[in-house]
Amino acid sequence: MQHRKMMTHVTLVVAVALAAAFTVHAARTPPVGTGDLAGGNSGLKSAGALAFGPDGVLFVGDSVGGAIAALDTADRTPAASAKVDVKGIDEKVAAMVGVAAGDILINDVAVNPISKNVYVSAARGRGPDAAPLVVRVDASGKLTLLPLDNIKHETVSLSDVPDANAAARQNPRTQTITDMAFVNGNVMVAGMSNEEWSSALRSIPYPFKTAAKGTQLQIWHASHGRYETQSPVRTFVLYTIDGQQYVLAAYTCTPLVKIPVSDLKAGAQVKGVTISDLGSGNQPLDMVPYKKDGHEFILIANSSFGVVKLHADNLGQYKPIDSPTVVDVAGAPYDKIAALNNVRHLAQVDAGNALILTAASGGGFGPAVGPMSLRTIALP
Amino acid sequence: MKDRLACLAVVLALGTTAIAQSVSLQFDGIAFKVLGWTATAPPGGGWSSIFRVYAGTGDVPPLVGTYAIERGSLVFRPRYPISAGVRYRAVFDAPGVRPAIEKSFDGPARPTAASTHVDRVYPSTDVLPANQLRLYIYFSAPMSRGEAERRIHLLDAGGKLLPAVFLPGQELWDPNNRRLTMTFDPGRIKRDLTSNRSMGPPIAEGKRYTLVIDRDWPDATGLPMTGTFRKAFRGGPAVRQPPDPKSWRVAAPPASSRAALVVSFGRPMNYVLLQRMLKVSGPHGEVAGAVGVEREESEWRFTPQAPWAVGQYTLIVDTSLEDLAGNKIGQPFDIDVFDKVTDRITSTTTSRAFEIGPTAKP
Repeated sequence: MQHRKMMTHVTLVVAVALAAAFTVHAARTPPVGTGDLAGGNSGLKSAGALAFGPDGVLFVGDSVGGAIAALDTADRTPAASAKVDVKGIDEKVAAMVGVAAGDILINDVAVNPISKNVYVSAARGRGPDAAPLVVRVDASGKLTLLPLDNIKHETVSLSDVPDANAAARQNPRTQTITDMAFVNGNVMVAGMSNEEWSSALRSIPYPFKTAAKGTQLQIWHASHGRYETQSPVRTFVLYTIDGQQYVLAAYTCTPLVKIPVSDLKAGAQVKGVTISDLGSGNQPLDMVPYKKDGHEFILIANSSFGVVKLHADNLGQYKPIDSPTVVDVAGAPYDKIAALNNVRHLAQVDAGNALILTAASGGGFGPAVGPMSLRTIALP
Repeated sequence: MKDRLACLAVVLALGTTAIAQSVSLQFDGIAFKVLGWTATAPPGGGWSSIFRVYAGTGDVPPLVGTYAIERGSLVFRPRYPISAGVRYRAVFDAPGVRPAIEKSFDGPARPTAASTHVDRVYPSTDVLPANQLRLYIYFSAPMSRGEAERRIHLLDAGGKLLPAVFLPGQELWDPNNRRLTMTFDPGRIKRDLTSNRSMGPPIAEGKRYTLVIDRDWPDATGLPMTGTFRKAFRGGPAVRQPPDPKSWRVAAPPASSRAALVVSFGRPMNYVLLQRMLKVSGPHGEVAGAVGVEREESEWRFTPQAPWAVGQYTLIVDTSLEDLAGNKIGQPFDIDVFDKVTDRITSTTTSRAFEIGPTAKP
């Protein structure tokens, strides 16, 4: 068992800006109740990050279309748990939609907390005409394509994107949605621009309302209290420490940090705290917090370091560094889970199980080398 | 009675055989059809229980699509278009039709003539600061996603492949897959982070490098490019001071002309952001015109649609405009909060006034 100490204790400053420069426009009609969405074409141009909301509603991030769709999966039959083991899921999806397996890009996985069915977002094709796919995988391994052209849904457009050239046929600017979560009635959205270096973390009330204003949080990151940088969030997860809700976020530039959810509101300024830095050339991809044998852990799938299990009993002890005289402290210890290799996505199933999507080789962000498999594992 | 039943069975068997011999499967490029078999009502398991089309081998589900009866024939239309280079296998397995009928069809052939290439890369200069933040790669045609990490390399002066140079993760494309944004690992750029301490910045001042983009990267049609792209550059000093519009040289053109307004930054700026983050406002509001970027992105040229009128003008600058190192107007990429020299600007725009007179005044 590899046991390491984290490197740096870093301060995170979250400057929360009002939505003055950013407006979320509800693209579709009247606000509807959960589970009572309007039918028709979802309008999705791509299917990326996934997150479940209330009552079987699946949020699908559409980076190409600059939108988020809330799909009614109509999948509300409770199940305590479900084991999934599908080998060659990329090959199976490819066969269903009539392309070579290499022309399927799997983007994300999520587990319906009610039914425990698995949902996979993917692209049919690698070019600009690629079609979005959302596939449901049940416990028997049966795959069902969601009919994205005729499904109850609601969409919100993330339309703060100015045209570089109004005469151009298509705006070249995109905001890639890297992760989403449903937190206290809001869809939180992390993303990266393909033009400017920005740190947009958005919070959008759900159900989406006509002309609803979301808030955009400008995320700052400081090292040693000295160098501050705008830092886009790559992935995040909701977590409770000592009765207080936090967002545990992994940044593109560095470590895992905690941000109190209560501070993520317009007009506030808060300081978050680094709890772990997995080191050079690595990025956390997905995180699953859990409890086992009376202890708290966070299972983290990484781009380079494989899967690690972070010991999270003492996350509450990490305090912000807001003085240049404060020296580094060790971060939370972690163990590498050697048995889990080439994990590209990780999602929580229930208190004792997680779902992993693995490639034949090339774990993490790197090019996927199929076949890819979907499997339920017991949390280590 | 027994004899009569035996006779009937023989007739049925012969009839079935006759049916099987005359049933055929057809593909017209869009739909798959069963010919020579009269479809009536769907069987208990649905049409898919007797007629399926597969696009893969092994234990895979059949194609998704819809069934219809057209002129008495069973027709299957796949939900998604037929793909180039894919072999489709149709299987008709109705009761009484023995043996089951199976036939393979090929989708259209993939194109074979490569024509796509790397058109240009920004920054265009051959000296990149040690804290260079992003590259913008323009392709002549749409490319395929999911390949960037294995197709883009940075080599040192000796041709050695340098690891962990770029931020791994989501590929940042424009909607046409013709422009890719690559980010140098910000953890190596930002001072004092673990990656920065252990590996240093991706680019070192004074060292020579070659950016290589592989020919084998398939374009959106699956074809490789026409050639491998190389861009040689050397590392320059890190740029820590944010761009300051007060220091820019604004050369106002003469009135009544359509000559370009020329803004010189004194350093290369972000090419992509220069397309939309500078605007000109005049006596009658925003001035319409065309943007040009010259001199390795250190010069912005604005040519108005209508001749310049005499009057007071303003160059409006979005404070999100970046230089090559991601320094914004009044805000360095990594702010040294102990260094009180830098004021953090929170406004979204700043401006620079200039005048167009009968004789131009800068």
